[in-house]
Amino acid sequence: MEYVNPEGLRLDGRRPMEMRQLRAEIGVISKADGSAVFEMGNTKVIAAVYGPREVQNRSQQLNDQALVRCEYSMANFSTGDRMRKPKGDRRSTEISLVIRQTMEACILTHLMPRSQIDIFVQVLQADGGTRSACINAATLALADAGIPMRDLVTSCSSGFLNGTPLLDLNYLEDSAGGADVTVGILPKLDKVTLLQMDAKLQMDTFENVMQLAIEGCKAVASYIREILLENTKQLESRRGI
Amino acid sequence: MLQSKSFVKKTKQGRVVKVVREHYLRDDIYCGAPLCKVCDVAASRLSSTASTILVVDTNVVLHQIDLLENPAIDDVVVLSVVLEEVKNKNLGVYNRLRALCSNSQRRFFVFSNEYHKDTYVKIETGESPNDRNDRAIRVAAQWYQNHLGSAVRVLLITNDRDNKKKAVTDGILAETVESYVKSLGQPALLDLIVQPPSDDVTMEDAEDLRPSKRKTIYPEHKPMSEITSGLHRGIYHQGKLRVNRYNPFEAYVGSESIGDEIIVYGRTNMNRAFDGDIVAVELLPQDRWQEEKSLAIANDEDEEEDDVHLAPSSADDAPRVPSSAGDKNAMPTRPSGRVIGIIKRNWHSYCGSLDPMPMPAGEGGIAHALFVSKDRRIPKIRMQTRQLGNLLDKRIIVAVDSWDRLSRHPSGHYVRTIGEIGDRDTESEVVLIENDIDARPFSSQVLACLPPLPWSVSAEDISNPIRQDLRHLRVFSVDPPGCKDIDDALHCMLLPSGHFEVGVHIADVTNFVHPGTPLDDEAATRGTSVYLVERRIDMLPKPLTEDVCSLRSDVERLTFSVIWEMTPEAEIISTRYTKAIIKSCAALSYVEAQARMDDSRLMDPLTTDLRNMNVLAKIMRQKRIERGALTLASAEVKFQIDTETHDPLDIGMYQIREANQMIEEFMLAANISVAKKILEHFPPTSLLRRHPSPTKEMLEPLIQTAAAVGLCLDVTSSKALADSLDRAVGEDPYFNKLIRILATRCMTQAVYFCSGDLSPPEFCHYGLAAPVYTHFTSPIRRYADVIVHRLLAASLGICRLPDIFQERPRLTSIADNLNYRHKNAQMASRASVELHTLIYFRNRPTDTEARILKIRSNGFIVFVPKYGIEGPVHLMARGQKEGGKWIVDEQQQKIKKIDGQDSYGVLQTVRIHMEVVEPQPNRPKLQLTLI
Amino acid sequence: MVGLSLGEQNFIKGGIAQDLRTDGRKRLTYRPIFVETGIIPQASGSARVKLGGTDVIASVKAELGRPNPSHPDKGKVSIYVDCSPTAEPTFEGRGGEELSTELSSALQRCLLGGKSGSGAGIDLSSLSIVQGKVCWDLYIDGLVVSSDGNLLDALGAAIKAALSNTAIPKVQVAANASADQQPEVDVSDEEFLQFDTTAVPVIVTLTKVGRHYIVDATTEEESQMSSAISVSINRQGGICGLTKRGGAGLDPSIILDMISVSKHVSEQLMNKLDSEIAAAEACDEDDEMDS
Repeated sequence: MEYVNPEGLRLDGRRPMEMRQLRAEIGVISKADGSAVFEMGNTKVIAAVYGPREVQNRSQQLNDQALVRCEYSMANFSTGDRMRKPKGDRRSTEISLVIRQTMEACILTHLMPRSQIDIFVQVLQADGGTRSACINAATLALADAGIPMRDLVTSCSSGFLNGTPLLDLNYLEDSAGGADVTVGILPKLDKVTLLQMDAKLQMDTFENVMQLAIEGCKAVASYIREILLENTKQLESRRGI
Repeated sequence: MLQSKSFVKKTKQGRVVKVVREHYLRDDIYCGAPLCKVCDVAASRLSSTASTILVVDTNVVLHQIDLLENPAIDDVVVLSVVLEEVKNKNLGVYNRLRALCSNSQRRFFVFSNEYHKDTYVKIETGESPNDRNDRAIRVAAQWYQNHLGSAVRVLLITNDRDNKKKAVTDGILAETVESYVKSLGQPALLDLIVQPPSDDVTMEDAEDLRPSKRKTIYPEHKPMSEITSGLHRGIYHQGKLRVNRYNPFEAYVGSESIGDEIIVYGRTNMNRAFDGDIVAVELLPQDRWQEEKSLAIANDEDEEEDDVHLAPSSADDAPRVPSSAGDKNAMPTRPSGRVIGIIKRNWHSYCGSLDPMPMPAGEGGIAHALFVSKDRRIPKIRMQTRQLGNLLDKRIIVAVDSWDRLSRHPSGHYVRTIGEIGDRDTESEVVLIENDIDARPFSSQVLACLPPLPWSVSAEDISNPIRQDLRHLRVFSVDPPGCKDIDDALHCMLLPSGHFEVGVHIADVTNFVHPGTPLDDEAATRGTSVYLVERRIDMLPKPLTEDVCSLRSDVERLTFSVIWEMTPEAEIISTRYTKAIIKSCAALSYVEAQARMDDSRLMDPLTTDLRNMNVLAKIMRQKRIERGALTLASAEVKFQIDTETHDPLDIGMYQIREANQMIEEFMLAANISVAKKILEHFPPTSLLRRHPSPTKEMLEPLIQTAAAVGLCLDVTSSKALADSLDRAVGEDPYFNKLIRILATRCMTQAVYFCSGDLSPPEFCHYGLAAPVYTHFTSPIRRYADVIVHRLLAASLGICRLPDIFQERPRLTSIADNLNYRHKNAQMASRASVELHTLIYFRNRPTDTEARILKIRSNGFIVFVPKYGIEGPVHLMARGQKEGGKWIVDEQQQKIKKIDGQDSYGVLQTVRIHMEVVEPQPNRPKLQLTLI
Repeated sequence: MVGLSLGEQNFIKGGIAQDLRTDGRKRLTYRPIFVETGIIPQASGSARVKLGGTDVIASVKAELGRPNPSHPDKGKVSIYVDCSPTAEPTFEGRGGEELSTELSSALQRCLLGGKSGSGAGIDLSSLSIVQGKVCWDLYIDGLVVSSDGNLLDALGAAIKAALSNTAIPKVQVAANASADQQPEVDVSDEEFLQFDTTAVPVIVTLTKVGRHYIVDATTEEESQMSSAISVSINRQGGICGLTKRGGAGLDPSIILDMISVSKHVSEQLMNKLDSEIAAAEACDEDDEMDS
């Protein structure tokens, strides 16, 4: 299968270093303390943040920091093949864990002891890169909820097919059997907080592929900043400041 | 960058899945014209002086690719919609089109119209995908015209009447292929145009103008939907049709659904299928199986005759003999069937010549001729030409276009001329083309991968910890005389313990050929060096093969070595593998090595080493034979070639000496040791070589022949066969060798495979009686060895395993390619020897001895040991079966004169006369007659 | 659960009694309704309906299946609803399951008619392809993204909108298949069947708070309800299904009164919804044109 044609175009018309179209919206769920929709091409996720609030289950309460919880779920219609997905299967538990750890690392949890922050991400459409989209959506939702954070966390994936590093794989490219590197960074601090890869890669190619994913994360970060700025301006004007 | 979504519906496994894909439209796709003021011209491909730019549609590419490949057609814009359609319809044509687009000599530019914001068209409701694509082509053509302005004429080439009409309405210039080519004013180009099949019926027919010509010759192919449902229900069987190389009226379809081969007898049953086509076959009722077979045999004998050819060296190139041919009443075991539809065509172009025919009266007009392919599996092809007089004595390439039911032969068109028939260079090129051998010089990218020359071992190499310095050892090589690509050398040293240290040193090719480089890719594609009689086509560039890697004497070279400690009884105590540096002290020829060993006066250390090794080799050989290895034989011949004219001066059997066997023995041992080592480290991704055990059926001809001379062979195991071969001694010394030659040709060739694809019992090498085997010892001329070197190096931790070993399917495809290339290389060598045999005998009618292999109804087949050829000797004229001076008993394999004077049986020696005759002008062939 | 103080509770109840609800609505006024169709391109049809703070998505996916042996000439439709924890943290894990099941079965009752499929809003025989062998199975999935009361009406509206957005590919059946075999079905990727959704009912839920009943209750209002009746009513005014929720008993005459009120409300809702769907469809098509 040819994933990059000799003219240097991918199956969907992108060039190897290009990302899919990004779209984000803040405050989509009025009842939540913070919420956001994040789209990377056809991948669309919605994140809601509740908290900081009273810890629901007292036994989990932490006296020196906030409790961060996360649940990831996929809508039945999110994939091409419809199936009932039992809640809490291995894959979603794993992704929930990954998102929780990534977000926890940037939330200033010590400022909110004895409280709980819930992050819920719901995948509406999956077309590759759901993990990254979830993290990006969660970042926006946390910011919307006004939860203190060290930095934004942004994420992007990249892969390696036909001997070419490709940014932001879609489902078709993701299922091609090549490597899939998902990276999450703290863009201001310039630190990698999440790194996952399946399949094998040579060390030197891995370096390039990871670098590409980091570039992708930075692009996402600048987009997210734009969205947040826009949102803040709107809030300002709404409040007549 | 705009975004658009395209909606596609797809079914897989009966499920309906809606697939949604994004489709990004761009504004950075350039037109490829160097004079364009808007676009980035860095990647432009079209010529700056072009006054006309052609836009071709899909059908033009699919049908007229031969025309497009002609340099007269240039400045072509290939739209991505066309590429995509071509790819889906015919991958072969797609690859050729891609090659054109990437060829820097040609001006073919790929325009990604499907991703350009101005040329992307969305399917309209009620519009078929075909119509949509045609519209996309028109939109792109129009865009080009608007984009480039009036200075350039953008011409849409289409044979679709409707499309052309719409184009003209839209104000796009459009022409048919024929009218455009006519406007170029090169009449010969018109030969390249494929005639649309609709013209077929009205076309004057060259072969028969009888009124019956309109009668249907072949049954209709079933529609695809019926075939699919038939395959589903198990009434039809799908498989690749393989035509018997020696009897084009017999073909086999390997069917997975019935787990056996289905035989298809006769052209009517083959129903226009070509060799390599994927076909759907229907089984015939069992009571007709026999009838069809005899029909095919009868058919066979009145159409064509066997030519004299080189004696086959394995079952792969031997004619298939119908088992139990004499026994007409027995129920045949193989099912027989007929082709009811063709699922995928394997048509490509073929090398051959025109059937000789008189020049038609009107000079210069269009003549119809029949083309005969060199490949006998291909039926004659009808074609028309405007240059008949010019083509009659030429080797030409012809491509097949269509084959309708009314026509006995398929129709095709002329592609190009190779040269004159019989000319050695022409015929050699034919051999290369026929066997898909790339004999072009290496590209500059490939040559750029070579180390700087002159090359010598550097201090770095010497200090490299992975490389052992073995320059102090007395290493030597033994090869055929004049060998320049020496890839193996040996040493043998008596250790203080009384044991021997024996080393096999193989050129360290992978030190220079790195994975993923153009050099490596080229070598992987070529797969092997090809040895023709008068030239060698290298797998690697000459500086590597003859200098940098070649283990010549008195120079320091890098090697990959296998070193054993052996007892004097040739028991291997330990094996070690290392990269090394050696300095060979002598490059001997087999003759020299043999002479040294035989000359009892010589007592120098080198000769002692040789003798020691020879003793060890003999023991090893004996052990191998005891394990059941076969001593096989083949009738290899050797030519002496005139260095000036390259014509053969002499021809004779290749002599095998002890020295050859000695070298062979150590190479086998090294290969086996390496095979074990790599398999141990990489069980799923080792490249090994296996030799499948021959089936009883394959050995049938051998058993029959042996039985005819009263010999009973036990073929139950390779050991039993080896023993019975040893016992088969006749009155004359050559008898045993003859039997061995016959045994060899019953076996198939050994093949490469990826160890993960088979289970360990299947790894076995039957001929060598080895449980695992691989190729390690000739990396200069075989790519398999290069792979094995990398595996071995990785197993020693010297270097990292390259990517390809991480994906089994890729390794499998490499093994498949190597098998294909090896087979082709062998066929090419054989064809080259056949060609030179013919040239040699052209002026040298010869009388010689021959052995009868098989009695046939009109004579017998003989084998000429001296020249390694075999062919028919006719005792009766063609077609005359009975009533001659001879009585033939095919059952008993005896032939005798009516007056009882002479009688002949199988394996008997006869004297024959060999002479080149020309039954038809420009078609020389070797004829054998009984003296 | 919404924690409301006694004062708040009284304020809500009092407002309803005076026909001026806390958000300024009258008892029988809906919140503004917002419909978006085709939002899940991978589905055969989809729609998102926002009703104030309630936000639901419905998708329809068509798959080839075998008809139920007792109804060989009909296709099958099933409805599942999922409550995303984004809507309510208590839906986390298995927390939303009870509500999901309740909503699913209420929707099935309201839209799919009886076991035989008679009285269903969707004409099941239009889903049949080859009698007894092949039919379309429609899987309708609802997802509650955000919840602020009246989920059932919102889901009903979303399903109606999703169905009118649904395009099912035309199929061709190979003619030569014999009687005992599963026929080969060829799915066209050019021609689609559109659903006739005029018969699909809307659902109107009347929530009884105190002595009065209101439509389109918010979560806060729902917390004060004694019982509720959901009626699904088609364009002709026929009742297609009915569910009563809540623990308190109701006088039969009140039930009849509630039904006649809901019938009246349903006409307005139906018209409002149809025009919203038409606008959304037009918008959806425009989107496609643009891109």
